[in-house]
Amino acid sequence: MRRMDNRGDFIQRLGLDISINILNLLDDPSDLVRACAVSRSWSQFVIENSLCKQLCLKLFPELSSVTHVIEVENLIEPVKISAGGSPEWERLKRDNRVYAFFARGLTPLIKKDCIIEPISASSTDNYPDESIQNTLEPEDRIGFRASYWSSKGESDPNVPEILTYKLVAQLCVVTEIQVQPFQAYFQFGFPIYSSKAVRFRLGYSRYPLELVDGMLIHHRWSDNDFIWMYTSPEFPVAQENELQKFKLPEAVLCIGGILQVELLGRVQKQEMDGLYYICVSHVQVVGRPLSSPFDIDTLDSSGKFTLKYNPETQLPEGEADTPSRLRTFTTRLLQLLGNGPVGNNELDEEPPVL
Amino acid sequence: MSNTSENPKPSSSSAKMTLKTSDNELFEVEEAVAMKFCTVKQYFEDEKDSDVAARGSTTVIPLPNVHSAVLATLISYGKKLPQSNAVADNHEEEETKKKERKKYEQGLLKNLMPGELLDLISAANYLDFKEGLEFFNQALADHIQNKSVEYVRKFFGIKNDYEPHEEEKYREEYAWAFEGVDED
Repeated sequence: MRRMDNRGDFIQRLGLDISINILNLLDDPSDLVRACAVSRSWSQFVIENSLCKQLCLKLFPELSSVTHVIEVENLIEPVKISAGGSPEWERLKRDNRVYAFFARGLTPLIKKDCIIEPISASSTDNYPDESIQNTLEPEDRIGFRASYWSSKGESDPNVPEILTYKLVAQLCVVTEIQVQPFQAYFQFGFPIYSSKAVRFRLGYSRYPLELVDGMLIHHRWSDNDFIWMYTSPEFPVAQENELQKFKLPEAVLCIGGILQVELLGRVQKQEMDGLYYICVSHVQVVGRPLSSPFDIDTLDSSGKFTLKYNPETQLPEGEADTPSRLRTFTTRLLQLLGNGPVGNNELDEEPPVL
Repeated sequence: MSNTSENPKPSSSSAKMTLKTSDNELFEVEEAVAMKFCTVKQYFEDEKDSDVAARGSTTVIPLPNVHSAVLATLISYGKKLPQSNAVADNHEEEETKKKERKKYEQGLLKNLMPGELLDLISAANYLDFKEGLEFFNQALADHIQNKSVEYVRKFFGIKNDYEPHEEEKYREEYAWAFEGVDED
């Protein structure tokens, strides 16, 4: 039998397509990162062929609406082009780095309670007692007060209702949505005002979300304000006073952080007025929110985004609005000047070339 | 590895084909198995079109890019795959066959040298043998998945051309990728 050669560098021997196919079998970004550490030629192969980006796209096809990536710290210091390098190569290297960290960020723990704030309800019967705000509260009563949202009554049971929420992060992977219909424990017969079915949409807001008196729900929203990138299949809803779990067929990356719950078909009439109502006591989203160091910018309403990666920001909770770029720049400037006095004008100057 | 094909089970339905390797070995293979090599299938169908009177065993299909040792393994693997024209087994038979196949696959991969694995992938690609390609590609990926950098370098015989400080810097930046890896 012929003696087999022990040198098995498949990237060199097997050609482009097969090598890419093999490396695309890896599901864990750590594997690609370690592959880059094996040798320079392996690293070059991974970067040149955008394998980290392909992995992210495989895990979350929704990312195809990201047109380009920026690394925020590079806005302060110009990208240093290494000898023999090219802007294209620097871009590929940067993309590789960002997508590796992004894939990594998408993998750890699932978190519940990904809803941060309600945006609107298509109708509300008694505001504020039956406001959508109540659906953030898991219990159907707080003390003696019932906690649920109610639609207005309709004589036609086919009239749907829509609840819109803002998620806890602009980039959020959603795996499951949970809805608990409300049982009117204070009405005769304890009717449960569920809907026949439910469907979910994930998307983004066309314009920055407007607060009125510090709350989103005080603004008048219209259908046009949101663009939906994902619509789930319809799930049947049981007429039970239970937190019903609707697992999405696959995990979806919501770019833009807006969720819509569409309640389809009414089943319960209120005895008093003979009208159909839908009432919900709780809505909860299970998923993985991604906050700093990632963020997005909407380029325009055609659904294209910029993915921003700022490795300098590892912000503690609640500091999301701090202009960290400015802070970093300020720190560096202070260091340069030997902690001398920094007047306001200094912050407007061009950064010194280091 | 034997370079003669095993005695085929007597079967009235399957014709045989002869494949000739780069080192001039002849392999007699059942049509059902040979047809999994789409390159062979294509060649065979082209032959039919060109009106060759006797089909099957008198047609010798040349495979100048495949060595006998490699072809033997691919044929052996092809035989173990569920045959498309086989009678449907009941659940128990299916389970037993599955287990057997798993055992065979493990045995096959256990003693495989990296170079041999590459030859198999290369040949499966040339022969357009989809199942074989998938299987051996995965086998190769398994030698990267969750394996340490040292293991990968050793297995694939790759020289580390990084400066020590470069490598250290990289490992620090991506510390999360280097934790919890198999030290094989």
